[in-house]
Amino acid sequence: MSQKKSTAKKSGIIMLSIVILLYIILCFYAPQKIFASLHANLKLLKMIAPILLIVFFLMALLNSFIDEKSIAKHLGKESGVKGWFIALLGGILSHGPGYIWYPMLEELRKKGALDGLIVAFLYARSIKLPWLPLMISYFGITFTLVLSFYVVLGAFLQGIIINTYPKR
Amino acid sequence: MTPEIIQKIKTAGINTLKNLWIITPIFLAVIGLVGLFETFITPQMIHTLFNKNVIHDTLIGTTAGAISVGQPFLSYIIGGELLQEGISMYAITAFILSFVTLGVIQLPLEFSIFGARFTIVRNLLSIIFTILIAWTTTVTLHYLHGFFT
Repeated sequence: MSQKKSTAKKSGIIMLSIVILLYIILCFYAPQKIFASLHANLKLLKMIAPILLIVFFLMALLNSFIDEKSIAKHLGKESGVKGWFIALLGGILSHGPGYIWYPMLEELRKKGALDGLIVAFLYARSIKLPWLPLMISYFGITFTLVLSFYVVLGAFLQGIIINTYPKR
Repeated sequence: MTPEIIQKIKTAGINTLKNLWIITPIFLAVIGLVGLFETFITPQMIHTLFNKNVIHDTLIGTTAGAISVGQPFLSYIIGGELLQEGISMYAITAFILSFVTLGVIQLPLEFSIFGARFTIVRNLLSIIFTILIAWTTTVTLHYLHGFFT
């Protein structure tokens, strides 16, 4: 196991221990709320499990059939407009909490995807297609359209800014 | 399918599982924190943070969105209630945007996967753009409203 991976696992175990300790301490003060939190955790796990499976499948696919060359072609320096299109559309269409996509995105980075495209993907995720009707009912169609337009523009501009500064 | 391809898929699957196994503890920690925040930070607490000053409320909207967790529709419901209470559109837009794009409790996971530099730059840009988009959206709506009436 590389040093980076080992550090990541160690810090993860420390953080998980802190969270478990927090639950134990808070259980004495507000047991009902802690049960509600545990219930919320289960609900969240249930919701993200299918998406995690998709992410796992995509990562395995990425590792076995897609090499650095094709990543560079579609999401790397030579990707051009196609790369932006994939990143922005992928962000808009992706489901679930952002953090479940992190491992796959890091895999893409390692294989040569531009940081700017990853940033654009993550920001474009604020357009939630399934929830747009609810947003329209609360704030109107003009607000929803204007906000969505600026989110896509903002995601693109952030990507450009990130790409301007090369990786160290 | 040739044995070579099957072997390739098997190796890739094992490697992917190993990578996921490494992030499992921090992933579970984040889920645990999400559960705590959902229960202990109530929408009523968020309401009390706003004071109808546009600049203050925009910054509070961005911060409150970044520390809040839950499904995106929750931000619309809270935002809708804030709008009825007379809170500015700048603040509500900032809150809705940062609710999805920023996440204080998932920062450790982001750090451990992407590294410090990427995480810091991405989050700083997200904060700046959330405020910028909140302003441009509200100003554009104001002009569009003036244009069509």
